[in-house]
Amino acid sequence: MRDDPSVVALVARAAEDDHDAWDELVERYAPLVWAICTRYQLSRDDVEDVGQSVWLLLVEQLSKLREPAALPGWLATTTRRECLRVLTAARKSQLAAGMLGDAPSSADDTAIDEELLISERNAALRAAFAELPPHGQQLLAMLFRDPPCSYAEISATLGIATGSIGPKRARYLERLRQSDALIGFDEHEFTTSTPGGGHGA
Amino acid sequence: MPESWDDDQLLAALGEAVRAREAVPDTFAEMGKSVYAWHNIDAELAQLTYDSSREQDHDVVASMRSASTGAENASVRALTFTSAHLSLELEVTDGSLLGQVIPPQAGTLEAQTRAGAITTTPVDEIGCFSVTPTPASPFRLRCRTVTGTEVLTGWITL
Repeated sequence: MRDDPSVVALVARAAEDDHDAWDELVERYAPLVWAICTRYQLSRDDVEDVGQSVWLLLVEQLSKLREPAALPGWLATTTRRECLRVLTAARKSQLAAGMLGDAPSSADDTAIDEELLISERNAALRAAFAELPPHGQQLLAMLFRDPPCSYAEISATLGIATGSIGPKRARYLERLRQSDALIGFDEHEFTTSTPGGGHGA
Repeated sequence: MPESWDDDQLLAALGEAVRAREAVPDTFAEMGKSVYAWHNIDAELAQLTYDSSREQDHDVVASMRSASTGAENASVRALTFTSAHLSLELEVTDGSLLGQVIPPQAGTLEAQTRAGAITTTPVDEIGCFSVTPTPASPFRLRCRTVTGTEVLTGWITL
């Protein structure tokens, strides 16, 4: 995992009572915590429980994190541990009640590591996307929608000629590639997971 | 950034990234943000070390069932939270929350619900306190003793 200077700065600001920095950390990493909970197939209440514990532990650790740059890894490990805690507790009470359900679903280390890589990539992509001008965001959003909007629809909605959509698409994607948020990424981090492949819910 | 990606791959990755954020309910992220209220609270976190609802084995369940036929203590839930300096022993019934600080000492106890409501209760010289009615679940307790020790429990879900 690369050292992301923006994470280090956010952690430092949040440790100094900067609520906005904390909110930004949560915005950025809530999808990671959520995705790991999803891997463990927790109930909605248990997901809330895990999330609460993870953020609370982070609040307590803010000024003590030895390597703020390693925050995503710390969050993944902590979330995983909290998920297991909740599952173990549920399992115990099932045993006590004589209702032996299925063994808790588990997510192995590889799955969590993959979730972490995808989450980091996604956070960087969203940060880069947020730097685009509004009309660039609108255009790309219509194109990456599943299923994507037709050029005719985009042309009508954004008031641009269909012939200019292709060139604009290429230009905004190039801007995305060159943005600070993405430029530091090491290509090797992405070789294990190409977009659209293997990212199960 | 993977410069080997072509435009289609980059666009697909971007869509995936935006959808991953949209998949997270706003309430989940909001809850995470509200946790910041606990920043810089100089309290030790007390861990749940005993929970009667989770420690029962078959024998205990069986003996409680036989012993409590008609008895009023069937619905009591006992919990213990332990930190480096003190423990909180709790008994929760339908109507109230009773507890004791161990080692016994006076202080104040706050019960906070997730919605933010706070009930403050005195802790007497032998460490006993009572919160009535039982706070809305989930809640957590923060105890400050006269000797200056401060502990905070994890969330308690009834």
